[in-house]
Amino acid sequence: MGWLAPGFLLGALTIAVPVWLHLLKRSASRPRQFSSLMLFEPQQRSTTRRRRIDHWLLLLLRVAVLLLIAVAFAEPYVRGHLPGVAPEKLLVLAVDDSFSMRAGTRLEDARRAALAVVAAKPRDTRAQVVALGSQAVVLTEQLQDAAALASAVRHVAATDGRGSLVLLAGLARTLAAGTHMPIELHLFSDMQATELPPDFSELRLPAGVTLVLHRVGAAATPNWTVETVAAPAQVWDPAKTRIIATVAGFGTPEATRSVVLLINGRPSGQQVIKVPPSGRASVVFAGPDIPYGLVRGTVQIDSADALSADDRYDFVIERSERVHGLFVHQGSDQATGLYFHSALQSAADAAVVLDEVTTEQLRNRDLSSYAFVVLSDLANLSPAVEARLTDWVNSGGRLLISAGTAAAQQQRIPVFDARIIGSHDYTRDEIRFAAVAAVDEAYAPAGTLAGWQGIRFFYVTRVEAPAAQTGLRLADQSPLLLEKPLGKGRVLLFTSGFDRLTTDLPLHPQFVAFVDRLANYLSGRTLRSSALSVGDAVDLRPDPAVRGSADVLAPDGSHPLDLKQAQQVRTWPLPAAGFYTLTLADSRHDLVAANISRLESDLTPASDDKLKLWQAASQAPQAVPAGTASAPPPAAVAAEESTHNLWWYAMCLLLVAVVTESVVSSRYLNTLRESS
Amino acid sequence: MQSLLDPVVLNAISGLDLVAATVVDGFIAGLHRSADFGFSQEFAEYRAYAPGDDLRHVDWNVYARSDRAYIKRFHGETNSQLMLLVDASSSMGFASHAVSKLAYVRFIAAALAYMATRRQRDATGLLVFGDTVRDFVPPASRQGHLQRVLAALVAAQPQANTSYAAPLLHLQSFLRRRGMVVVLSDFYAPPADIIRAVAPLRVHGNEVVLFQVLDPEELRPRVDGSSMLIDLETGAELEVSEDYVQGRYRERIDAHVAALRLEARRSGIGYQLMQTDQPLDQALMQYLRLRTGRD
Repeated sequence: MGWLAPGFLLGALTIAVPVWLHLLKRSASRPRQFSSLMLFEPQQRSTTRRRRIDHWLLLLLRVAVLLLIAVAFAEPYVRGHLPGVAPEKLLVLAVDDSFSMRAGTRLEDARRAALAVVAAKPRDTRAQVVALGSQAVVLTEQLQDAAALASAVRHVAATDGRGSLVLLAGLARTLAAGTHMPIELHLFSDMQATELPPDFSELRLPAGVTLVLHRVGAAATPNWTVETVAAPAQVWDPAKTRIIATVAGFGTPEATRSVVLLINGRPSGQQVIKVPPSGRASVVFAGPDIPYGLVRGTVQIDSADALSADDRYDFVIERSERVHGLFVHQGSDQATGLYFHSALQSAADAAVVLDEVTTEQLRNRDLSSYAFVVLSDLANLSPAVEARLTDWVNSGGRLLISAGTAAAQQQRIPVFDARIIGSHDYTRDEIRFAAVAAVDEAYAPAGTLAGWQGIRFFYVTRVEAPAAQTGLRLADQSPLLLEKPLGKGRVLLFTSGFDRLTTDLPLHPQFVAFVDRLANYLSGRTLRSSALSVGDAVDLRPDPAVRGSADVLAPDGSHPLDLKQAQQVRTWPLPAAGFYTLTLADSRHDLVAANISRLESDLTPASDDKLKLWQAASQAPQAVPAGTASAPPPAAVAAEESTHNLWWYAMCLLLVAVVTESVVSSRYLNTLRESS
Repeated sequence: MQSLLDPVVLNAISGLDLVAATVVDGFIAGLHRSADFGFSQEFAEYRAYAPGDDLRHVDWNVYARSDRAYIKRFHGETNSQLMLLVDASSSMGFASHAVSKLAYVRFIAAALAYMATRRQRDATGLLVFGDTVRDFVPPASRQGHLQRVLAALVAAQPQANTSYAAPLLHLQSFLRRRGMVVVLSDFYAPPADIIRAVAPLRVHGNEVVLFQVLDPEELRPRVDGSSMLIDLETGAELEVSEDYVQGRYRERIDAHVAALRLEARRSGIGYQLMQTDQPLDQALMQYLRLRTGRD
């Protein structure tokens, strides 16, 4: 026996109050000596004796009332079954509504099995229905009403979500934490092997939860699917574009499949491939005809299996013109531009045409046609050129300044307007170089810390720019990449250089990725994926500072966001497969494709051994044969050790004590009245 | 002078002999101013001398003339013996004010002994009893006998229960002469039982008088709310309510007193209720009434 809130037991100290009052009352009637009690009637003696008994009875009852109040609040509990009392429990019916349940009659079988459990449920046992897909959706409260529970079960519909039994374990832990009674957790699912996590510790159920598995569906169902499509998200030259589709078969024999590429719904290519038994085959569509703008692409196969929705794979390609950038360097420095230009050309999807000019040539260059400008080294930048650059940035241009070694001779960084407080030549230090130590991974050009490992910086310019955002910082806390807004544009400062004198960055692959990120960021192009999965969230407000209304046009033509969500929601999960047209908060339009997770396409069931292991891990000894639905055996129920809260019994006793106290005290008062 | 009979005043006097003298002298002084009672030693008769008679009462003048010895007897000497029976059980120790019942009984007994010995020249005896005879002073009228009686009274302390049968049976064997027997007690016993025990004392023509000494609190108890009462003799406890004590109990104590008085009268026994807050003259008056045969 234990106490859930033992602190309330301190309330038992209040029994001192009635004890003190009774003793005080008794002391008030202090005994007196009297000559003889001969003349006092025997009836009076018995009445008095009874009244004294009543005194003690009243005291005991009042003490009992206070004790029971304290006990009830302290919530006593016992482990195990109360003798003669059927164990109270909560039934949780989790019906798998993931995509794989669309196969055959799996969902119907699951609903039928769940309805059978509801029908067999004792009348006073509470139950709760949960739909388990990409998220656990609680469909009912904890109800005793079998009709309401059955109605909820009948309304479970299959989704495009990916099922995960980890979610079920999390749900069980949540329910166990909020419910002080044993939980009998019934799972109605096809028990896909892909729904099990590799680590069973993630599936461990809390104490007091008994897992009952109801497997539905055939042991193995063949299924073909377009597993993946590798397509560039952005293209500027369709002739160089390659779209690679992989067709996979799960539990399938060798077969020939026809693969069709659809661009904006119209066939753009078709190929026939031979898919080996339970294997994969790839097909390449080269140089498809892709129009400008956001394009809906689909790779589709012909298959007549149980799951038709995974026979297609949607993706989005954006075709646009290349943007132009301007790289400004000193006349004597030809290498830096070469490095930067080569890195841009090496980027897989770089869509930037980089022009190179010297500082002197910048005076006569029209900047309006450039998406961004890179200033490498700052030796001779005339005030007129700085003024032009500043005006251009204020009007929306984006400028990257590489300080290099020449900045040490200046007092300030032009345009960026930061005071130069010195430079640091790390080659003169003992360690000879500095490495990146801090990365703001939320800052797009910065990348990740892992990518910067092994890159050495030998020379940096130190500036005083308290208002600037720092994307990269060296080990001695020197800022490496800074940014500050200027008018409608932005200015970035790289305090080292893009040459081999100040850093060995150009010698590392990270240089290509860094330059690509910089170019995309400076040109205002956002990195986007060609395809997402159902359940992935799209960002409707890339710039949180922009307050505007967002909108989503779902594949079925509906607008799932209400007005409030349109004003407030930042991210929104994609609920089903298909193309979604997004209107972002900054009024830009986007198109995303959501596909069903191909983990759902593999209908191979989890092995019985794994399920038994899961049940063993959840400390539920009973095993249910595959393909059958069964309730836990009585022996298992009897062996189950559950926790029983006794506060209800304490409250019942309290009620009895209060009523008895009222009766006794009333009788005591009547006795006094009669005697008077 | 009447104030000297106030028990509270007497209680402040340490010597019981002084108490007795104060009471009796004060009482007699009051009687001399009253027309109801004469108090003198008038000649009554001559009686032939019998062995055992006090030689001091022989009329030697008659003996010289007639050569016969006669005892000269006076009025007031017809009852020549006073026997005081004092209940010294535990209940007699009860007191709601300065004077306990036993102290009050001491005053009465001392006063009666003083009056009998010094004024009437009667032989005076004392028997102190509880559940048994605890002290016994045989009746005598010798000089110094009064001090012995008073000493026995002083020595009497409240203890044990009350039993009338055994002590009174013991006394019967000593009552050979006609006299007066005064029983001083609170008489917490059924009246019939009391009379049954006392009545045999009337043999040999003895006058028996019962002085029931009660505390005012016993007759009219005051209880606030409910009180726990403890019997002084048995130790039994009883919780009583104020309403019961002021109602039903008063009826029962009044009935008890009335029954005892009625039973005593039916048996030819004198009865006097004494309250410990009352002057002692009632007791002396009763004694004189019986002694003069006016009662």
